[in-house]
Amino acid sequence: MQLKKVSIDPNWKSRLESIGYGYHSLDDVPYWVDDRYYEITAGEADSIYQATADLWQMCLKAVEHVIQHKLYHLFHIPAFMVHHIERSWEKDEPSIYGRFDFAYDSQSRKLKMLEFNADTPTSLFESGIVQWYWKNHYFSETTDQYNSIHEQLIQSWRALIPYLKGEILYFSCAKETLEDLTNVEYLRDTAIQAGIQTELIYMDDIGWDGRAFVDLEGYEIQTIFKLYPWEWMVKEEFGNDIVHDINEAQWIEPSWKMLLSNKAILPILWELFPHHPNLLKAYFNEPKGMRHFVRKPILSREGANIEMFYDKEMIYATDGVYGEEGYICQELATLHREETGFSVIGSWIIGQEACGISFRESDMPITTDQSRFIPHIIKN
Amino acid sequence: MRKKASKSVQLVLISSVLASCAQAPQSTADQQRVYMRADSTAAYTEVTDNYNQQRHSSGGMGSAFLWFMAFRHLGGGLGYANNSLHPQSVAGANARKASAFQAQRAGFGRSAVSNPSSSYGS
Repeated sequence: MQLKKVSIDPNWKSRLESIGYGYHSLDDVPYWVDDRYYEITAGEADSIYQATADLWQMCLKAVEHVIQHKLYHLFHIPAFMVHHIERSWEKDEPSIYGRFDFAYDSQSRKLKMLEFNADTPTSLFESGIVQWYWKNHYFSETTDQYNSIHEQLIQSWRALIPYLKGEILYFSCAKETLEDLTNVEYLRDTAIQAGIQTELIYMDDIGWDGRAFVDLEGYEIQTIFKLYPWEWMVKEEFGNDIVHDINEAQWIEPSWKMLLSNKAILPILWELFPHHPNLLKAYFNEPKGMRHFVRKPILSREGANIEMFYDKEMIYATDGVYGEEGYICQELATLHREETGFSVIGSWIIGQEACGISFRESDMPITTDQSRFIPHIIKN
Repeated sequence: MRKKASKSVQLVLISSVLASCAQAPQSTADQQRVYMRADSTAAYTEVTDNYNQQRHSSGGMGSAFLWFMAFRHLGGGLGYANNSLHPQSVAGANARKASAFQAQRAGFGRSAVSNPSSSYGS
């Protein structure tokens, strides 16, 4: 895996905007990196694929374990949601996607799972579409990329059609975010191409008529994709109504994904699969003898409230508003490092299939909402 | 194993999202007056000021309907759609719309309002 450079296209911003990518910069600081890229080998792509496929199966076993042993208290799941989670698991309610974040140690060539963004993963549009167009701009048609995200999304929606309730699949996100709107509209685009009838409704436009969730015209919502965290939904005004909905609406991602998007799953995975080559040691609350570790809130977003310890000394920390639900301690991973920063690999699982990657680069060894997106190619 | 991408990608919706954000702002002098109603049997309400204000508060981007709807604020105490449409413009003689207006709204989304961010994903 090598970081390489190309002569930048002076019109890179308008080129990206022409395909609908509008959040390439944040306050004029590029989030999208157009003039650097990772070149990976076919063998490295194989390793990421295999690690993702294995970890997905392990995660499903971990969910089964948590449900069987009723370990919800470790995840701070509200009691009223337990039955909903169990029902969504038993009914195998539709799920479309997730993204594992990996640390890659270039010396040992080991991939280690940092976390699983199982509920609200973003950067899907730049992973599936923008980096594909980027490759076509700078490289020949024979150059490849580990990226079948677009086709896999369409195929996965198509496979879900017999299991979707109602005639319309709604798509939802918060208002005032171009990034989330673009990701949701991209997903809706692929669902339309799969032959599904869809509608967009913003989270705060969803209505509750006393018995069911309704759209802006009062039609009952039976199935809805939401790019909005479960842990927020259950605490909001309509949170309790989720379990009183007479339609038992299908929420995508389903509520059992609350177990996988919570960092409490990391110590559970380590307990179930100790010393697995793609896992880092992880424990609840305490480092348990680890000298180099990262302390993470079980619920946090975009790298907030992370503390990094080396030789038990804190070397990095990020601020934020998370942590009241408790913490886990995870062994410190070696990240791939270049002069420009530290990189993490995001690996997509869509409809049960590992199908593409992204790279995010940060100035410090914690990935945050300031981290840059770097495209990639597979070495010919 | 599906690792490699295909050669053709087609998008139906996406470019319209950004296109709606990318229109040049109009000058206020020749600004078009904007009236809206959410039901064809309801009365129109002028929303020019809201529409214009939203256009500027969303980074100078776009004035298209989609963007207006996306960046329309709730709140203020008068209930759903307070800052955008007058309640009399939401539902007219259409019973379904009138009933939709009776539904409680904004029971989701408050966490995003209290934690402003460019994304609520991960």
